[in-house]
Amino acid sequence: MPNKKNSVREPTGYRSKLRERLIREKIGVWSVVKVVRGNSIYEGVVLPRSEHTAEDYLVVKVDTGYNIGVKITDECKITEIGYQKGDYHLPEIDVKTKKELPNVSLLGTGGTVASRLDYRTGSVLPAFTPEELFSAVPELMNICNLTPKKIYSILSENFKPEYWVKTAEAILQEFHNGASGVIIGHGTDTMAFTASALSFFFKDLAAPIVIVGSQRSSDRPSSDGPMNIINASTIAGYADLAEVVVCMHGNTSDTYNLIHRGTRVRKMHSSRRDAFKTLSDIPLGMIDSKQNIMFFKTDIKQRGNTEDTYLDAKIDPKVAILYSYPGCNPDILNSIIDLGYHGVVILGTGLGHVPSDFFPGLERAQEQEIPVVIVVEPLFGYTNLRVYETGRDMLALGVIEGDNMLPSAAYAKLIWTLGHTRNITEVKEIMTTNIAGEITDRELNSGYLIMQGIEENISEITTTLDPNPKEHYWGEQVHKTEE
Amino acid sequence: MPNASEYDYKKLGLKCGIEIHQQLDTQTKLFCACNNTLRGQNPPDYTLIRTFRPVLGEEGSFDPAMLVEFKKNNLVLYEGFTDCTCTYDIDETPPFPCNTEAIDIALEIGLLLNVSLVDELHVCRKNYVDGSVPAGFQRTAIVGINGDIPISEHKNIGIELLCLEEDSCRRSGEKENMIQFRLDRLGIPLVEVTTAPDINEPEEARLAALRIGILLRSTGKVKKILGAIRQDLNVSIKGGARIEIKGVQKLDWIPILIRNEVTRQLALLDIRNEMLKRKLTPTSFTDNPLDITEIFQETKCKFVRNGVKKGKLVWGWRVPNMHALWGEEIQEGRRFGTEIASKMGSITGLKGLIHSDEVLSKYQFSESEILDIKKSLKCDEKDLFVLILGKPDRLFQAFEIVRDRLIKALEGVPEETRKALEDGNTEFLRELHGAKRLYPDTDSREIPISSEKLKQIQANLPRYPWEVMKEFEKRYKIPHESLEQLTLDGNLQLLEEILKVYSGKPTIIVSTLLETIKTLRRDGKEVENLKDSHFVRIFELLEKKLIAKEAIEEILAYLCDQPQSTIKDAMQTMDITSMSIEELRKIVQSLMPSFVSLIRERQMGAMGPIMGEVMKEVRGKIDGKIVSQVVKSEMTNLLKKEEE
Repeated sequence: MPNKKNSVREPTGYRSKLRERLIREKIGVWSVVKVVRGNSIYEGVVLPRSEHTAEDYLVVKVDTGYNIGVKITDECKITEIGYQKGDYHLPEIDVKTKKELPNVSLLGTGGTVASRLDYRTGSVLPAFTPEELFSAVPELMNICNLTPKKIYSILSENFKPEYWVKTAEAILQEFHNGASGVIIGHGTDTMAFTASALSFFFKDLAAPIVIVGSQRSSDRPSSDGPMNIINASTIAGYADLAEVVVCMHGNTSDTYNLIHRGTRVRKMHSSRRDAFKTLSDIPLGMIDSKQNIMFFKTDIKQRGNTEDTYLDAKIDPKVAILYSYPGCNPDILNSIIDLGYHGVVILGTGLGHVPSDFFPGLERAQEQEIPVVIVVEPLFGYTNLRVYETGRDMLALGVIEGDNMLPSAAYAKLIWTLGHTRNITEVKEIMTTNIAGEITDRELNSGYLIMQGIEENISEITTTLDPNPKEHYWGEQVHKTEE
Repeated sequence: MPNASEYDYKKLGLKCGIEIHQQLDTQTKLFCACNNTLRGQNPPDYTLIRTFRPVLGEEGSFDPAMLVEFKKNNLVLYEGFTDCTCTYDIDETPPFPCNTEAIDIALEIGLLLNVSLVDELHVCRKNYVDGSVPAGFQRTAIVGINGDIPISEHKNIGIELLCLEEDSCRRSGEKENMIQFRLDRLGIPLVEVTTAPDINEPEEARLAALRIGILLRSTGKVKKILGAIRQDLNVSIKGGARIEIKGVQKLDWIPILIRNEVTRQLALLDIRNEMLKRKLTPTSFTDNPLDITEIFQETKCKFVRNGVKKGKLVWGWRVPNMHALWGEEIQEGRRFGTEIASKMGSITGLKGLIHSDEVLSKYQFSESEILDIKKSLKCDEKDLFVLILGKPDRLFQAFEIVRDRLIKALEGVPEETRKALEDGNTEFLRELHGAKRLYPDTDSREIPISSEKLKQIQANLPRYPWEVMKEFEKRYKIPHESLEQLTLDGNLQLLEEILKVYSGKPTIIVSTLLETIKTLRRDGKEVENLKDSHFVRIFELLEKKLIAKEAIEEILAYLCDQPQSTIKDAMQTMDITSMSIEELRKIVQSLMPSFVSLIRERQMGAMGPIMGEVMKEVRGKIDGKIVSQVVKSEMTNLLKKEEE
């Protein structure tokens, strides 16, 4: 126990009267204290207090490991009887490069693949060093030579289009340095947006870019993160695939992940492991818990020469998304135009409709050559503005049909397109042409019915998705999980 | 092996504490809106498979027990039900706000146990990687600390901890590398009461568990079904170590388990002394195991031969200077060798550990095979050899565990969590979990306990059950054993309620609550459907003489079958409404004189004709079964008088 005089006591997170009292009595976080109030005695280590909580409670970790809150009143006596600082670190692991294994880079942007407790808010914060990663998931060392690099440490809700560009530049750098594949560790909230943007940014991609995260933070024994990162590493290192994909749990079990095309994937549940689904199509494939890969689709772009890959990440982020709903006021569209936005994506109801009182606003947009791209509010299916009168009127006002583009894909694509041209004819041409799988020319019946992850026999269904699946079995050579 | 009947527990320094887990009878589960029900052996509606891995504690280190569990490398299969499990239970949705009904019950129990209640509940995660909770942790919060409870007139024991937590899954089976759990029990609120290690006699522990059980049940707000209350024991003696014994299902097991644990610890201390005498140190066990599979190519030992055929290997290991020690009995019928083999087996899943202190002829090894083993391992007569059959990756781990256990034997008793067995013994379950597996639950907010709430609970606090029992014993002459059973059944408050409305003999109440319920259960009736209000109402009717005591069982049986019905429905269906039993009795009594001679002649055989006459008068007004009961009792009375 360090000498009391040598360590400064800071009552982190405590406020007002209690804070003043703690400072006065030289008690801070990690002080071992005895609190006496009437007949009650509480002993333990003082922990930091989270923000947004009541002021007059002291959080104490008692010797059984539990935390309790003790209300500090004037009659309470608090005495420091020791000092015991917590030290959060994972055991270090000596990582050696193995010649026979592929080199894979893991670029961390934040998110919960690895995380630790944040006392400020009482929630989890990402933690990300190679040592932490390898000691948490030692299996990775037998799959590939994985080099983790932190490029940001931000929550995915704080992502901005500029970060997509920086991420893309970092990826290209890794390819130039000889990576067989790149993994992006990403918070799951806006993962699908980043996946779409990267899909448009790279030309002649020659190796996989795998975006991965976890729906349960890695400070839980049940975290989905370890299996997701193990599977992502296998895809990045070995799979014959040169696309931007998302690799997350396929169902609630730890039995397989689905490999989703970046432009077709959407987060469909706020918290489940299998939140990510491919919409209006089937996933590219699956990878099971022994890292066997099976592809369902035949139009997958295969690996090529990384020297051919180049980055075209010119963007114009002044784009808004608008949701059409009963009673939505055209003021919103007018404001977007008034504020000088360069493009708008509207989630139109049904086949893509907006209320007719939007028409004057659409007309203004048309006059000012601001592209308005329509996608469907139902998320599944195509726009079609020729079926009903409203739709035809909208077409006459110059809106662009987004076909079966997902809102996230349309948003990223418009930002990317406007970075290249503001000529409305050119924008329309690009927006209606499939570039990275964001628009499909046909929709499979199975693209709607399955892949919600909860159907009975989903595992069997996945194996019959494609009559001629391309099968790849890596598991045996790569990594053994059981006898 | 030491002789248990001669133990002086005071001298041995026996220290024992108990942990009692009691499910609460709330409407819904602790952190979700699922029904608080179990689904028995019904087939599951869905299943899922998960894996777990250890995580760091809040202060940055691993809980050693979690690392050992992880070595088991198991998959976990969960069986779920649509009506009582939701995405919260399978760790797919963050927790909903904590059940306030459960918090209130826990606070009430806290006040009864005289603990210092915390001012703010902080939900913590107790990490498990054995699969018993899909999240990998149990959500739990301290409600109070430092209480006490009198276990007799002369002794109080301390209550260290009162926690409110969610129950874990029920284990429902195990296949190779796959443990199975049922999700229905998961999330049911329970209180965990941990006593201080103040107990110094085995029998005292039973008494303490009984007392705490009675106190919890006396609130009337806890679950009464089998398995709703579970006890764990913590046992240590001077020079020994703290051993946690899990899965103590019956109170009567407690003293036996404690006695046997004392025996085991003493025996392990003897073994340590002998090991020290033989100058063994941790470095004595540094030999590496050798692959000696070759010796067994032609062996007559079936299970080794089959294993080898399947590609398993036999590794042998010389344990110097340990001859005869593995054969020492440390529990009734369990040797030191069994202790080591069962620990190794429980972690690695390997079953074949053979050692030279066993009667090797039972394996059908030939003399030459045994000689070959000794030769290749360089064993002399002071040494012992150990053989393990398995696949190479597991074998390495298996010998590490055996080696580690031997090094620990040099210190005597290793701390661990053991499982109670039916025969009163225990076996290794897992390493003792420590404080490091606790982690603040980042999904929950702290829950302040208002002083108004406490005042309100305090005002409605029931009296201590033993005080109530003492009073009832005196005032109503109800036997102590009956009162104790009623309290354990959770029916003491009900008895009190009924006594308020019924002025007749309390024995009828007691026999209804104890015997009648037992009979109905034996007849396969769903006695869980009976509500306290049913009983109170029945005794109200009995008090007003609107029913006879003979009708009680039938009304209850009806309510068991028709839980949606009222007592009125029952009485209508059974024709009890239009005539009171007293009126019936008068009619029967008025008819009796004309049957005296018939009764003399045919004794109870006269029942038929008498019933016929009575039914002519009362048919449709009252249930025939009740009529027959009344006729029978009147006939018996008459015959008794005749005898006199």
